[in-house]
Amino acid sequence: MPVISMTVNNRAVQLDVDPETPLLWVLRDHLNLVGTKFGCGGSFCGACTVHLDGVAARACSTPVGSIGGRRITTIEGLSANGDHPAQRAWEQIDVPQCGYCQAGQIMSCAALLARNPNPTDDQIVTAMNGNICRCGTYVRIKEAVKLAASMNTTANGARR
Amino acid sequence: MRTRLDVLKDAKHGIVEETRTRSKERRTRRSFISVSVAATGGLLVALRAGPLARMQTAASTGPLAFPTHYIQIDPDDRVLIWSAQPEMGEGTKTSLPMLVAEELDADWTKVRIDDAPLDRKYGGQGVGGSDAVRSDWDNLRRIGATARACLIGAAAAQWNVPAAECETTTHVVRHAATGRQATYGSLAGRAGTLTVPRDVPLKDPSRYRLIGTRVNGTDNRKVVTGQPLFGIDVRLPNMKFAAIAKCPVFNGRPVKIDAARARQVPGVRDIVEIKGLDNPTLLMPGVAVVADSTWAAFKGRDALVVQWDEGPYASESSASLTEQFEKILAAPPATLHNSGRVEDALASAAIVVDNTYAFPFVSHATLEPHNCSADYRDGELFVRGPIQMPMSAQSIVARATGVESGKVHVQATRIGGGFGRRLMSDYAAEAAVVAKAIGGAVMVVDTREGDLQHDYYRPAAMQRLRAGLDAQGKMIAWDHVIASCSRNVYRKDPRGPHSTETYGSYVGRVTSLEQLDADLQPTRIANARLRYGAPLTGVATGAWRAPAHVVNAFTIETTIDELAARAKRSPVDLRLEILGETADVPKRADDPSPYDPTRMRRVLLEAAERGGFGRPAPAGRARGLAMHHTFGSYCAHVVELSVAPASNNQRRVTIHKIVSVGDVGQPVNLSMLEAQMQGGIIDGIGAAFFGEVPIANGRALSRNFGDYRMIRLREAPLAIESHFIESRLRPTGFGEPPLPPIAPAVANAIAALTGERIRMMPFIKAGFTL
Repeated sequence: MPVISMTVNNRAVQLDVDPETPLLWVLRDHLNLVGTKFGCGGSFCGACTVHLDGVAARACSTPVGSIGGRRITTIEGLSANGDHPAQRAWEQIDVPQCGYCQAGQIMSCAALLARNPNPTDDQIVTAMNGNICRCGTYVRIKEAVKLAASMNTTANGARR
Repeated sequence: MRTRLDVLKDAKHGIVEETRTRSKERRTRRSFISVSVAATGGLLVALRAGPLARMQTAASTGPLAFPTHYIQIDPDDRVLIWSAQPEMGEGTKTSLPMLVAEELDADWTKVRIDDAPLDRKYGGQGVGGSDAVRSDWDNLRRIGATARACLIGAAAAQWNVPAAECETTTHVVRHAATGRQATYGSLAGRAGTLTVPRDVPLKDPSRYRLIGTRVNGTDNRKVVTGQPLFGIDVRLPNMKFAAIAKCPVFNGRPVKIDAARARQVPGVRDIVEIKGLDNPTLLMPGVAVVADSTWAAFKGRDALVVQWDEGPYASESSASLTEQFEKILAAPPATLHNSGRVEDALASAAIVVDNTYAFPFVSHATLEPHNCSADYRDGELFVRGPIQMPMSAQSIVARATGVESGKVHVQATRIGGGFGRRLMSDYAAEAAVVAKAIGGAVMVVDTREGDLQHDYYRPAAMQRLRAGLDAQGKMIAWDHVIASCSRNVYRKDPRGPHSTETYGSYVGRVTSLEQLDADLQPTRIANARLRYGAPLTGVATGAWRAPAHVVNAFTIETTIDELAARAKRSPVDLRLEILGETADVPKRADDPSPYDPTRMRRVLLEAAERGGFGRPAPAGRARGLAMHHTFGSYCAHVVELSVAPASNNQRRVTIHKIVSVGDVGQPVNLSMLEAQMQGGIIDGIGAAFFGEVPIANGRALSRNFGDYRMIRLREAPLAIESHFIESRLRPTGFGEPPLPPIAPAVANAIAALTGERIRMMPFIKAGFTL
């Protein structure tokens, strides 16, 4: 099998794996990064959301051979100390119920805030609508995205 | 009469089908508390063997060989509390340790919480029927209070003062007269050497500092940083991954397996046939493909060529079930309740409604798919996974593998959603059977498609309700016929058709109205009849969050609303008339939280008042209201919505605001209660609008979240306002109670706005979407 080279959470890795294998299973079963979750395998639920060069992508439907040189970030590598504004906001608002979808939710939120630090309600809905929460934490997710955005702008000294 | 609660309690103790009405194991609830000095030099509080544990062998004969730890207080003041009940999102791992910490008077910021393994000394592990706090309320507070008394005892001995003169504030024992004080950590070692006081008094609720506040989830930090927490995150040394092919037709089994192509898939190691058990809720037959990775297992399973014996239900469809339901509605086989003269009352009524309702199969669709791990070593099985019922998992694994239950060790992980699916333990049996066959460690995982097609669905049903008001607008007649698939028939329960599909009674076993009245008020109507029948079907059914309360409350609450509208009466007043007073409802002597209509009345009135029901809504909007009592808790919602044209001739409903009131007795964790209110509402709305598993050719047609639609953020209510009644009554759970009243509240608001009555789920089939 061909050797695949990737950069995951700023770490270079090389793997002997079928290039058709979805990134999700490479992360979970080969690299033991289990924070990225399996929900549907078809890009319907967003539980497997990771960043490719900072852009949200569904790892379950991304063949590992298609990634090329793009840098992969998973929930484990989102921040050095688990203190990304989205992570802090999720904790503070007490968003998780079962918690299974929340890594994907946080990754979608982080990608949104990276390209749009001050999203409107509509922009939040559009960015987060691909992530299913089976427990129905949507009310708190909306609150947490707004809180994370406010932390972001405060931290950057930007005007709201 | 056995209630659903009895069944759940038995399931906790691993009694899966047996009909024992009282399990001796439950006596372990009265096991003794013991203390000792922890390895850290601190205080270790454990449960000492009750009668059951003495029956166990070697491992538990030493004084603390395998103690059932509850609390450890270290010299550095840190407190470790073991949580013995599964966490699947309803907050048990936070709210249950809160009960311990409250009575201990511990500083919550110094409390760490760990998962306890399955151990019979915990006196029943497993939660269901929203009963976690309800079941452990006394037990856990008693343990916390006893530990606190030991710390006081240690301080009193150290200071040579009477214990009665000592008191605690957060994490500190004080003696007011001498001004002395000592931290818990400094007293812990001495406390571990004391005789344990008996019958320690519990706190007066006015002194609660934790109970009744907002406390964030114990595992939040781990969740938001992606730490391994869930069953699917388990990694055992040399663990393989397996995917199981099951007959697409319900109740089918493999007859010929051609695994040649599957074995050629890179990474595939083994093929294991699973025979299944006679009761398909314990273990379904199938063919497991064992591989080095999940992906290889999935691909290997796809490459299997299996010839199936499709069994007797291969031609079944949603349409054939509807035919059966209609026959039952026309000639109901069983009468559960019959008071007064229903037909005469209907004939004399001034206003009569005659409504037929239809409800589809609904999938649990837990976001963490079906999975479990097991390791077979030296004749023993180590099972780890998202296990809601550790004790029944142990007993089912033993039955499926022939390994005696003493050699089956079960550890529950955090669970990525339950909603009733994980009351079954089939996944534990699957993992164990494969692990034993390969003689090692394996994780069984299913795809979303497999998970949706081999679920134990909420039973499909049709109902007919005829009800009548007299000329004064008083309810005089109620004739309800329920035709429902029965999960009891499906799981071969010897008691026969059941129970939660009806108003909570066993067919032919209704000896009093207690259970009927507890679940449903209309049986208090003078002329009332309840009839029931179950179709013959192969479709797998089980409990789905707030089981049949969801469909029954829909029928009942929309019919009451319709009758009130026809009579131009307030639907609140009409409900109040039916509710009755506390004394009207017979109570089970052994139910510590019996149904009390005055509590339902208060919740109804407070929701109506706070939600502005009966007052004009903003232009273009209308409000709807519904209520229900489920598993000891009371809930009512007022929904404010608008309706706009959408594509495909559908109307799009926008839910602007929901105002909800719950009565759970003494609230324990307000953040969790609010979360359950919001989540229950959103789950209930999503399932009502979209949830349907269609059946054709004996199989489920649902494939993935593309066609089995889940509610999304855009469709969720724009605002939910949650209120909880201030109460000192014994707490009851709230994982399920918000669900039953939400769909009828939405339908009643739609009717108020458009005049159209929705009488089926999913609502999209009635032309309404979100």
